[in-house]
Amino acid sequence: MFKKFDEKEDITGATQLKSSVQKGIRKKLLENFPHIEPYLEDILPKKENFKLIKCKDHVELLADHTGVVRFMKTRNTDFVPTLRTLHKYPFLLPHQQVDKGAIKFILNGSAIMCPGLTSPGAKLTATVPKDAVVAIMAEGKEHALAIGQMLMSSEEIQSVNKGYGVENIHYLNDGLWHLAEKSIN
Amino acid sequence: MSDNAEGDVAVVRPCLAPGPTEGVNYPLKVHYCGECSMPMEYCDYSGRTEACRTWATTHAPEALEGLSIDDNAEENEKKHQKRGGKGTSKPKDKKKSDWRLQTFEIDLKVATKLFAQKFACGSSVTGADEIVIQGDVKDDLFDLLPSKWPQITDDSIEDLGDKKR
Repeated sequence: MFKKFDEKEDITGATQLKSSVQKGIRKKLLENFPHIEPYLEDILPKKENFKLIKCKDHVELLADHTGVVRFMKTRNTDFVPTLRTLHKYPFLLPHQQVDKGAIKFILNGSAIMCPGLTSPGAKLTATVPKDAVVAIMAEGKEHALAIGQMLMSSEEIQSVNKGYGVENIHYLNDGLWHLAEKSIN
Repeated sequence: MSDNAEGDVAVVRPCLAPGPTEGVNYPLKVHYCGECSMPMEYCDYSGRTEACRTWATTHAPEALEGLSIDDNAEENEKKHQKRGGKGTSKPKDKKKSDWRLQTFEIDLKVATKLFAQKFACGSSVTGADEIVIQGDVKDDLFDLLPSKWPQITDDSIEDLGDKKR
């Protein structure tokens, strides 16, 4: 989704949000990621204002007061942490681990195929429903390499074992990854 | 339609996300490679493992320990392009005119006030080091800045053009 994301072309505007709206977003984040609670203050300090950056294709990004993008929202998902945020707080999303062979394809932006999730090197977290946003981990690696959205539930992936299992939303070295590296003015 | 889906996710997710590990201090500090920008364990897949390795040996030798970078692990010759560039988005009649004022030890609040008065238009501090002036006042601003603050010289002002923000 963010393969070709470019800040010059894809960003249509940034707005300072009203504090009531910010409160709403914070509440929503807490609701979606209950584990975030002790850390939300570090990610988006209450005292500071964060910005909403609107982009093409119904994509919205949340940038903290220093301009670093912390959360993203796409047409089909609610606010989810970006990879950089996820690396710092890996417990926010359910993990799905793929085998070694899948890594290079995922880093190229491809969707995660079912066999990559069911083979011996992989670990499929059970009972994750369809459409849930998950962190894609890799065999033998410590950090997440992508963030995806389940196209089937875990059980279906296990039983069908064919075709796309998880859609690749955001991965290492895609456009958004490079964007999150520096702050946006 | 999405109502239902979202509801599901919100209800189910709490029990699936692993939650913080006891005894670990968050945020985690992740070592990113200066070459390929990925966490160092993924350098194998960067397509220029050599460069990554050189970088790692000079900048973060301690992080290399325990990481085995296999020389020809992945023959991935694809070079991903570096994305450069700065600044973004659209101007309209709002001109974002200048930042890095803090480098000159200027109080941003005072500056906004002054801009608002001088140019008879809205002006606000929007970021850590950023002021938005509503109005097409760029040229006047270039005159005003050096005369108001002697530490700013003409050379230190750079017109970044119509930058979207």
